[in-house]
Amino acid sequence: MWCNVESIKEFINAEKPSDYYERLLAELSALNREYHPFNLINEGLGKHGAFPFSTKANICVKGFETTAGSKMLKDYIPPFNATAVERMFGAGHFTFMGETNMDEFGFGTFGLNTETPARNAFDSDFVAGGSSSGAAVATATLKYHVAIAESTGGSIATPAALNGVVGFTPTYGAVSRYGLIDYANSLDKIGVMSRSSADSRLVFDVIRGIDKYDTTCSAAEITCSGRSTLFTVKELMEHTDPAIKSEFGRLLDKLGRDYEIREISVEALSKAIEPYYIIAMAEASTNLAKYNGYKYGFQYPETNLKYNDFFTEARSEFGMEAKRRIILGTFIRSESVKEKYYTKALSVRGMIIREMSKVLRDGYIISPALPIPTPKVSEAERLSPTQNYAMDIFTIPPNLGGFPHITFPYGKKSGMPIGAQLITSQFNDYSLFEFVEKWEEGFSMQYRHNLGSI
Amino acid sequence: MEEKELERLLKTSRLKASESEKKLIRADVSEIISFFDRISLVDTEEKPAYHPTDVQSRLREDEVLPFQDVELMKKGRKMHNGYFVGPRL
Amino acid sequence: MKIGLEVHVALPTKSKLFCSCSNGEPELPNTNICPICMGFPGSKPMLNKGAVSSALGIAKALKCRVSGSISFVRKVYFYPDLPKSYQITQMEGAIGHGGSLEIEGKSIRIRRIQIEEDPAQLIREGALTLIDFNRSGTPLVEIVTEPDINSEEELRSFIANLRSILYYLGVDINREIKADLNISISEVRVEVKNVTGIKSLTEAAKFEIMRQEELLKNKMEIARETRGYNEKSRSTESLREKETDEEYGYIYEPDLTSFGTEGIPFSEAVFISVVSKELAEGTGVNSKTISEMTMLDRHTLSIISRLKERYSVRSIIHGIQRMKKYAPEEESEAAIEKIIRLVEEGKEVTKEMVLDAAAGRKISVNYSAVGSEEIADMVEKFLKENPEMLSEYRKNRKTANLIISRIATENRLNPKDVAKKVGELLDRYASS
Repeated sequence: MWCNVESIKEFINAEKPSDYYERLLAELSALNREYHPFNLINEGLGKHGAFPFSTKANICVKGFETTAGSKMLKDYIPPFNATAVERMFGAGHFTFMGETNMDEFGFGTFGLNTETPARNAFDSDFVAGGSSSGAAVATATLKYHVAIAESTGGSIATPAALNGVVGFTPTYGAVSRYGLIDYANSLDKIGVMSRSSADSRLVFDVIRGIDKYDTTCSAAEITCSGRSTLFTVKELMEHTDPAIKSEFGRLLDKLGRDYEIREISVEALSKAIEPYYIIAMAEASTNLAKYNGYKYGFQYPETNLKYNDFFTEARSEFGMEAKRRIILGTFIRSESVKEKYYTKALSVRGMIIREMSKVLRDGYIISPALPIPTPKVSEAERLSPTQNYAMDIFTIPPNLGGFPHITFPYGKKSGMPIGAQLITSQFNDYSLFEFVEKWEEGFSMQYRHNLGSI
Repeated sequence: MEEKELERLLKTSRLKASESEKKLIRADVSEIISFFDRISLVDTEEKPAYHPTDVQSRLREDEVLPFQDVELMKKGRKMHNGYFVGPRL
Repeated sequence: MKIGLEVHVALPTKSKLFCSCSNGEPELPNTNICPICMGFPGSKPMLNKGAVSSALGIAKALKCRVSGSISFVRKVYFYPDLPKSYQITQMEGAIGHGGSLEIEGKSIRIRRIQIEEDPAQLIREGALTLIDFNRSGTPLVEIVTEPDINSEEELRSFIANLRSILYYLGVDINREIKADLNISISEVRVEVKNVTGIKSLTEAAKFEIMRQEELLKNKMEIARETRGYNEKSRSTESLREKETDEEYGYIYEPDLTSFGTEGIPFSEAVFISVVSKELAEGTGVNSKTISEMTMLDRHTLSIISRLKERYSVRSIIHGIQRMKKYAPEEESEAAIEKIIRLVEEGKEVTKEMVLDAAAGRKISVNYSAVGSEEIADMVEKFLKENPEMLSEYRKNRKTANLIISRIATENRLNPKDVAKKVGELLDRYASS
């Protein structure tokens, strides 16, 4: 399993100085002060020369404070490992580097919804993307490292694209969610970020597969069925910034040498954002009900208060976006409007899955990852909630439908990396790696930082 | 969104907000619900998809496998004679 | 007067509903716990096959329509005993719908039977609220009836009959039945929550009915509310504001799928009342007495359930008793059935015969070698010594069987031979 992956093999075989990990940790601490990719760095990194991996802060690591980017989980130390983490440790060749920064509970497109947001690895004035912001920045700044991350609506695809790394989101159910601190249970997926497609594939093979602890985890076989056509969807491309459109057009020209490029109309895909947020918020509002200040994480001190007041006081530790989503989710679940929003959203989801499956039988869907150039932090902060939601136009359809997708870097615009997203049929995950591996033969990303270079 | 409705939602979800926060939340939430309302324009007879992929159901055998780290779950928590201490009833 | 019940019953499984913690009652608090039943972040439920099996048995015993596929929902509310702040329970995807339970001359409709998890246990000690999560995640079944119960007697009957079925299905009825009552004598429905045991349930109903009648008599309004039952004062009292459906905000449980019920084994129930009735017919003793005296155990009931089409209940019970007496360790169905067949044929079952059956040997039935004249004498002697038997016979012809059986047993005779002589002699005597 190890031997055919270049960077990991390279790393294992290389002569490393005896204080390699010590120095790496020191460099990392310094970098963390400017870009904040890590919420927690494991000072015990480096056992037996193993290859570093990080986990997004919503993935439970036994014995390490896991907060999901929220004050409500301050000081929470899980008594168990997420299955994906258990499998990484079980593989024997990985060493745990730490937990990466994220939007609180996964609520965000730019990584800004947390106390100390991560900054883009190419320019700290710019957003890192979210919600797996830290994972992307860590991957873009560390030479030898892989990140276990998570996506609900695009939380791997977007930050990976904005930081010039590969971001792989598997088919829903391919990787066990046990130990993943839930945002939306029918939408969450654990995935991988790395500098090369091959590294992501290797880690995917370590963590994926049936797990008795997650009833929604699938035993289905993962295929590698290549396609020769790349579809662009007219309705999605419509609202893309012209600068991005033009760069993306140049990518299509290059890919046109090996693939047939076709523009198609799939109206259903333009209707994905509303049902996505409706389902996500409904489920999230129930998942966040368990945080009420006396069980795990933040312990609200005034135990003399009557329980309802106690809960209300404790839950004021949630950030604004989390509060908004809880309120909206609770609204959607109200008996009087449930049919209109929740049930309808589930039907629309079914329709979108059907439409997308048909298209994906005949080719991949390709698109940019973000419809605008990477914004500065100050610009993104001014966006309204619905303007934020609209940024997910490309990433929501595959996430809503549980389709595997991968983002890969294909260039730079004004010094900032740009990425494209490729989607394929459910359980056809391997073909995505095959595509990107081929692309990597003719393209390699130049990173600003390369911590841990030997 | 009406003030009364926001109050009800805050109460149901055990959240609180200052008067100025409530104004902001009401504006945001109203805008977002209008955004959600667009879903009524979609015409479909499709069955609700509770999961995006076909998940086969799996049942667990009825056997006892005790959790090995019970003490870890009690670390840092208020305990009293082996009981967890909770908020006042 | 209309009474409906929501009865909560703990299922007799080895492990909890969604995790592999033991479903027992350990001595020390917070020892049977894990991240799943504690609702730790990232934990997820795994549905217990045994719980589905047990719930299926109950649904079928209560004559419910069992869905081919079941599913779960989240019921959201905030209380210190609810670790996830939602309870995983069932609604439309519930395991059984539209059943019934017979009580004397009436059918009480069962609206729904659903599987759900129990919250933790709360204990008040002074100013402290103490929580024991051992109970959290216990598998429960909630049995919801229509408001078809119209009197205290019917309430008592319903609970007694329900208890026997549950007892048979392995439910520990020493863990008292807990129920919520819905009581109304007008259109206003009042709920009395968390009442435990037959005695409290009937007293709560009695008090509540009186309270509502009193209010009506004085032309006062009956409030639609939730009340609790106070065991000490034997009265119902107002409780906190009841959450309405609007606020539970049910959604489909997305950590679980829908589960098929085909091919899941389940236990069949036999109604003790049916067993008692049959025994009573055979012996002439009141069926209520039989029921109280019989104390049939689950093993016996299981065998009755399987063989009642082929043998009489009395033979089955007698056969099992013989088996237990001489070969208590024997569990083989084939062996037990051999013995039951002998009993049904009217033969006396000896120790040797039981041991033969248990060892799988051919059973030798030893009859005394006795001539037909001698048999006639024995019959005559018997009838002289037991004149009341003759009187019984004159009233009820079926008594002949009893007479044959007794003579054959006392004298170790082949009942077939005895029957012939008894038939002749009884005809002669009865007509005189």
